[in-house]
Amino acid sequence: MAHVVLENLVKTYGAFTAVNNVSLKVEDGEFVALVGPSGCGKTTTLNLVAGLIPVTSGEIAIGDHVVNDMDPKDRNIAMVFQNYALYPQKSVYKNLAFPLQMRKLPRDEIDRKVREAARVLDMTHLLERKPRELSGGQQQRVALGRALVRDPAVFLMDEPLSNLDAKLRVQMRSEIKRFHQDLKATIIYVTHDQLEAVTMADKMAVMNGGFLQQYDSPAQVFAHPVNMFVASFIGSPAMSLIPLEASTVDGQTVLTGAEGWTMALSPLNARKVQRSTTRKIVLGARHSTIKLAKNASPNAIPAKAYTVEPTGDVTFVQALLSGAVVNISVPPNVAIAPDEQIWLEFDQERIHLFDGATELALKAD
Amino acid sequence: MSTASIVKTRAGKRIDAWRWGGRIFLVMMLLYTAVPMAWMLLTSIKSGFAAMQLPPQWFPNEPTLASYEKLLDPTNSVGQDFLRFFWNSLFVSTTTTMLAVAVAVPAAYAFSRFDFPGRKFLFFAVLLRNMFPAVIFLVPLFILMRLLGLVNTHGSLILTYLTFGLPLAIWLLKGFYDNIPYQLEQAARIDGATRFQAFFLIVMPLSAPGIIATAIYSFIGAWNEYIFAYTFLNKNEQLTLPVGIQRFFSENTTDFPGLMAASFIMSLPVVVLFLLLQRYFVRALTEGAVKH
Repeated sequence: MAHVVLENLVKTYGAFTAVNNVSLKVEDGEFVALVGPSGCGKTTTLNLVAGLIPVTSGEIAIGDHVVNDMDPKDRNIAMVFQNYALYPQKSVYKNLAFPLQMRKLPRDEIDRKVREAARVLDMTHLLERKPRELSGGQQQRVALGRALVRDPAVFLMDEPLSNLDAKLRVQMRSEIKRFHQDLKATIIYVTHDQLEAVTMADKMAVMNGGFLQQYDSPAQVFAHPVNMFVASFIGSPAMSLIPLEASTVDGQTVLTGAEGWTMALSPLNARKVQRSTTRKIVLGARHSTIKLAKNASPNAIPAKAYTVEPTGDVTFVQALLSGAVVNISVPPNVAIAPDEQIWLEFDQERIHLFDGATELALKAD
Repeated sequence: MSTASIVKTRAGKRIDAWRWGGRIFLVMMLLYTAVPMAWMLLTSIKSGFAAMQLPPQWFPNEPTLASYEKLLDPTNSVGQDFLRFFWNSLFVSTTTTMLAVAVAVPAAYAFSRFDFPGRKFLFFAVLLRNMFPAVIFLVPLFILMRLLGLVNTHGSLILTYLTFGLPLAIWLLKGFYDNIPYQLEQAARIDGATRFQAFFLIVMPLSAPGIIATAIYSFIGAWNEYIFAYTFLNKNEQLTLPVGIQRFFSENTTDFPGLMAASFIMSLPVVVLFLLLQRYFVRALTEGAVKH
């Protein structure tokens, strides 16, 4: 296993910049998820690491070697593709054997390694089958087996679960996580599903528009998103972002909604707001941090329930506030009707404040 | 409810009528193509006298393989000529096929996988050639062949057939390569293959049906071609089968059983090839029509 370092990585296609100055370090044995919406540059970044496309500028190092000019075959990597890319004309056995044959290993060693990989992935009984005779989950497993059969320095995975149905995806998710824990493998994992990234990865690199937005542990990204994009992308349902106006009333910093209500801020939050470049402030709050009441209270803001979505163990209420949709979760035994008058209380300790112009998270110091 | 059922039966009847009409049409087409072939076969086993009889003998009273024996016997002049024409045709068609495949495989792969300047224009240019009837090129190509000193050589035919066969071969094969996911090559390259190995070990075997279909296509085209062979060649020992048969038998009175036997032997390689490889052929022509 080895660490991977990207430094000022850039990939352009004509005038379009797919990957814009991305720098990050994947430690030895770390599971890093590249996550972002379609077209954010995550797959391009992975292909750059794999060597499938040439780098425009910047540097990629695997272990202690700069690999910019190395062929994919010399980078000692293994890759799992979204569509599995199993060789359709070869049996499972030959699919697993192919990377070893290419490395000119002796036949008996190939046989030993293939059977070992098949045993680990519980597919010894499938070895003689052709890929088209396998189910989606089995194909996925073969793709994984072909990657692990030759102990690469780094595993690259390009949305390996997105072609599976929901149930199988959850199952394979935990299998891949287990696989990482057992092998202490360095894994770079591309996904558009933030849930996969949060549940599996040691660290996640959130990308958007070719830029690396934030690179940290899922817990940190979840608790301290650096900007509005990360805040809305990570977490489900998404963090509610409510555009408000800051003003000073009687020496106190308050936020005012479009409906005319005001919200007093804690001293810490007031300091954050004072550092904003504009009076337009965006308030971010996750569904579980907003308290919903049916009666007015001093700090609560009036709103109207818009839709109510019971999911079984929790009910999500959407309300319109200052032109934004606010998501609130309540216990399933709280009965709320659409258009019912409700009051929302925001937890000053757990709200996020963003600069309305730069979209960056506001800091107190 | 009753209206719905009426509509249903009406629609059902209409479909039935169409279906029967289609079947009758197909049977007619079958007769249209099969009867001449059956007649060819029957005539070829008649004696020269029986072939000319009126009213015709539908099935020969005394079937004989004499015509075949004469054609395939290298000791008489008829057999010598026929076997030479057969060999000439085989040589021209096989060489054309091998060259066409050798050029079309890398060309189609390049058109499918690489983005190079002028790619679209070149691909269009490749097809442009096939948008004109062959006769238009007859005179210019003859002049060109004379300039190149290729008149009365098989080289002139091979070159000409390639200009017709290659564009279609490239077009056909490109469809095949387009359908092979690029990730397979990427996977192979990561698994330790060079770019060429990825093509040779992974993509080539997958495109084998396409290559076979392309080969059959070029072979049949070259094997049956008449006009260019008729124009470019006039020495007897150079002729290919289509011209040879025609010229040979119009010179030696009209030996219908002999002519039919020769035609039958000439159609054999194509039929055999087609029967052996038809499933590849059909797959190649439909492949790329729908995205999987």
